[in-house]
Amino acid sequence: MNTNHPLLASLADEPPPFPDSHPQLQRLDRSVLCTICKEIFRAPVTVTCGHTFCSECIRSSLSVMTDKKCPLCHATITEGSIRRNRAMEEVTEAWETARDSLITLSQPVAGPSRRRPPPEPNSKSSSSTSANLKRPRRSDESRSQSPNKISKKSTDHVDHVVSSDSEEEEQVQEISENDEGECPLCSARMAIASIPMHIERGCPPVSKKKSAPGNQKADWRKVFSMAGSTKEKNVSMKRITSPNYHLATPTDLRNILNEYSLPTVGDKPALEARVRQWIILFNSNLDTEHPKSLSALRAKLNAEEISKKRDKERGRDEAVENLKTTEGFAEHVRNSGAEFERLRKEIMERDAKRAKAAKGLEASSAIEVD
Amino acid sequence: MSTTAKRRLIRDFKRLASDPPVGISGSPNPDNIMIWNAVIFGPPDTPFEDGSFRLTLTFSDSYPNKPPTVRFVSKMFHPNIYSNGELCLDILQNRWSPTYDVAAVLTSVQSLLNDPNPQSPANVEAAQLYKDNIKEYERRVKTTVEASWMDPNETIEEAPAAGSSATAQPAPVQAA
Repeated sequence: MNTNHPLLASLADEPPPFPDSHPQLQRLDRSVLCTICKEIFRAPVTVTCGHTFCSECIRSSLSVMTDKKCPLCHATITEGSIRRNRAMEEVTEAWETARDSLITLSQPVAGPSRRRPPPEPNSKSSSSTSANLKRPRRSDESRSQSPNKISKKSTDHVDHVVSSDSEEEEQVQEISENDEGECPLCSARMAIASIPMHIERGCPPVSKKKSAPGNQKADWRKVFSMAGSTKEKNVSMKRITSPNYHLATPTDLRNILNEYSLPTVGDKPALEARVRQWIILFNSNLDTEHPKSLSALRAKLNAEEISKKRDKERGRDEAVENLKTTEGFAEHVRNSGAEFERLRKEIMERDAKRAKAAKGLEASSAIEVD
Repeated sequence: MSTTAKRRLIRDFKRLASDPPVGISGSPNPDNIMIWNAVIFGPPDTPFEDGSFRLTLTFSDSYPNKPPTVRFVSKMFHPNIYSNGELCLDILQNRWSPTYDVAAVLTSVQSLLNDPNPQSPANVEAAQLYKDNIKEYERRVKTTVEASWMDPNETIEEAPAAGSSATAQPAPVQAA
């Protein structure tokens, strides 16, 4: 396995999976994952056939599909049939809270409970067995910072997220925390040590000053205390109905954007894309116990646009287009010879390892095989 | 590309790296996560056995709501693979589901090799031979298997009947 790939590093703080000795826990762990984004359910919703997805996932799927079908069973569904699944949200939250302790209990070796294990000589494995790693939280997971729930649990939570960040810095030894790196998602440059946290927050635009964890808290406080209400228009928290994009004029689209204090720059396709994305974000934000503030939603929308703009600037879109031409494809093939050879060897080595493991079946089953 | 699509692709890569299906490997271009290279081994006990076939996958902004474009780099002889390497596979077109990931796509392509659908031929000759002359079909497949061991940049001489080699991509070999 190619553990050196730069893109893998960004998920290195993933929580460890349950060991193979606990298939029932592995199954439970899988059952709270959305089958579209493959991450833990956020604002779970159920469609007519009974399948459940993150609200944002299924809404954005439906917005792209020409004939709208359930991604799992292909039953015909409509956006109007989407219903909040409060029970699943509760189960998901409960599972997240319980997961860490269950991981500890399920470790075959008497593990170093909640303490950090001694740093591994080669901090290579993304699936290290240390029991203290946090499941990374997505941007829309600001629930822990939700001020309407400043219970002891949630404040603990914030602390924990922050502290796991500093642990991260200590564990990665080769790179100094002051080195700059590029975020693999949005390509923004920042101190390497702050990338995992940045990704967990869903790639907010990087400001020059250190983004202290208090920033977001302050945002929340502002929104909920309505201190900044002079700025925040009275937005009705009702689902937005999509306009007919074929008929809508740029002015119509700008009016919608204006209503939610969103930027109105750009031509019609840009405006349309912004409206579409906003409606998905806004409507799915209504499907959870822990909605995000409108300013957090705007920041997310902005981050998406910045990410796309960067790709364009760096010629990434162009590279994809280029691959569609005969010459571009031939050039890509010429340049990728070594990479293909490496991939081929990877399979060969893996097969050899598998054959070996099959011989010592019993011994390997308890150990996680990479 | 949107951060959602990138995040999903990183997750796909992680899954592919930590729990790879047999005979499959793939990896995104380090500078551009929208472009992936992959290698598929031919399924055992089929004419494609021992073949090591190269492919590229390109993803759009709408992934996983839209399927990736999959294209063989290696020269293939298969009823559902065009001579330029593009393939005709329902799950990559109208049967696509956003629940599929890269591992699932590559696994499907791998199983397509020995489970062709001659009803919708992309390579008429291969489809014809598959139906009428399986021996000859297998012989032709085996030449592509042998060719797959070499650098595909080398021009592979094939029976002229192998068809529109004009659209194929033989390119001068670069010293590696």
